[in-house]
Amino acid sequence: MLADIAAVIAPIFICAGIGFAWGRANAPFNTEMVTNLALNLGVPCLIFSTLTKLEVPPEAFATVAGAYVAVVAANFAIGFVALRLAGLEWNAFLPPLVFANNGNMGLPLCLFAFGDQGLAFAISVFVISSVGTFTIGLSTFAGSFAPKVLLKNPLLYVVALALVFMIGAFKPPAWLANTTAIVGGLGIPMMLISLGVAMSRIKVASLKRSLALSLLRLGMGLALGIVIAWAFGLTGVARGVIILQAAMPTAVNNYLFAQRYDRRPGEVAGMVVISTAISFATLPILLWFVLQG
Amino acid sequence: MELATQLAAIVAPVFICAGIGLAWARVGAVFDARVVTSLVYNVGAPCLILATFAKVKLSTAALAEMTIAGLLCYAIFATIAWSVLKASRLSIPAYMPSLMFPLTGAMGLPVCYFAFGNEGLALALVYFTLGTIGTFTVGAAIAAGRVTLGFLVKQPAIYAVAFAVIMIETDATMPTWFVNTTTLLGGIVIPAQLIALGVSLAALRVASLRRSVALSLLRLSMGFAVGWAIGEALALSALPRAIVLLQSAMPVAISNYLFAQLYNCEPVEVAGMVLISTTISFFMLPFLLIMVL
Repeated sequence: MLADIAAVIAPIFICAGIGFAWGRANAPFNTEMVTNLALNLGVPCLIFSTLTKLEVPPEAFATVAGAYVAVVAANFAIGFVALRLAGLEWNAFLPPLVFANNGNMGLPLCLFAFGDQGLAFAISVFVISSVGTFTIGLSTFAGSFAPKVLLKNPLLYVVALALVFMIGAFKPPAWLANTTAIVGGLGIPMMLISLGVAMSRIKVASLKRSLALSLLRLGMGLALGIVIAWAFGLTGVARGVIILQAAMPTAVNNYLFAQRYDRRPGEVAGMVVISTAISFATLPILLWFVLQG
Repeated sequence: MELATQLAAIVAPVFICAGIGLAWARVGAVFDARVVTSLVYNVGAPCLILATFAKVKLSTAALAEMTIAGLLCYAIFATIAWSVLKASRLSIPAYMPSLMFPLTGAMGLPVCYFAFGNEGLALALVYFTLGTIGTFTVGAAIAAGRVTLGFLVKQPAIYAVAFAVIMIETDATMPTWFVNTTTLLGGIVIPAQLIALGVSLAALRVASLRRSVALSLLRLSMGFAVGWAIGEALALSALPRAIVLLQSAMPVAISNYLFAQLYNCEPVEVAGMVLISTTISFFMLPFLLIMVL
């Protein structure tokens, strides 16, 4: 069990650690380029490659997506009520409570915990989460609705294309499979390294509030993951993926949006850093729980 | 038809990735070559070496055979290049490294990997590592006019090779966490190098077409002839023979241009050689592959 947990956690710790050390050493790092390489090139190829390589039944893929929609909705409702009761600005703090790091951290975690099948389900969650971030999340921060950003994201097109292959149950030609597999190799390491760099650069303001909200994000996420996996009757890999993904720390995107719209960026940054740090520390226990089945 | 599909599966990833790089540069998107090179050489390449040799159990004899074949190739390239340049009164510091050191990384590794899988990649990595050591010692010394070992000591690939040799000699089975982490980080190398190649090609210009074409043809034909002859002379079995031939016949490596620029040895001329030999090589690659498959 210990070796299994190490096999999952080591790649994530080491890659993010390299990014962190890179940032601390002030080595040249072009975040715009790396994000571009990872999110516009690597991840779309990884998604296409993973979804077309496997015999993932489209219904199972859709069920996981449905379960995560429920997770997001429940997070949203509970988060909204909690923020209202505490008298906190929901425009600033609701998205970081709702939207977890399902990409940078969730994808590699599910890949190494459950193999390619786990990655395929984790992608399903990631798609829902990204769509939510760029619609509900962004408009909560902005105070207005602007779904156009979503159309610029290659994610939706790639998933649509992959679904055609999945539903038609045909395989892409070898040249396409090879190309997307090799370019997809950029996605996860680049994302993790840039997560590490971001951690080394983000400054934390107001420790207490950020800590409380981080604990709410992680505790609420884990509880909802368990309950909703049960309510949807998920078992095995699908259950593990929903629980892991629901319990991820606050996504870095939230910080970028909070900064852009000036919604308490210092405190949202604190949530990103603190929830990620706590998550790293508690990951072995979470994995132990999930891998037990 | 079968062969065409097989060829497309090997050549397409190389073309498409380099094409992405070209397009990236053409649309003027940010590309920081320093960051990519640094990530590839300091993190990716050493991890790819470790991951591949942890997965492929190469025998000591096979490793020794490939090392000897590679060293012989580079020695003969050096002899021929020196003689031809002397005879045609061309600058040795400017042109010799380009004739000696082919593009065994960005182009050689993916071609060998897609043609022969992990076994092919392992052997190609041996040839590549010798080339990297050679480029940073002999190549840099020829361009600079003096020996500088500083580059070599700073190359993490050297330490990765030393560790890989220990793994081979002790027949060690590496733990899963080690394999997962190095595989993930090693996955950066091929796509990042190919995209960087495309970006560089977009920026390079040909200064004197005739000389660049002549020297490019010399690089490619000499590479092919020597690679073939070494395979015969050492009576190599099919796989190492194919790898030696493919790696030897690669176009001029982009690293030669970097050193030419650093030491101001006709960088414009070297750029022309890189561009032209790579272009010719793209056309010749299918024929070369038909020979070895």
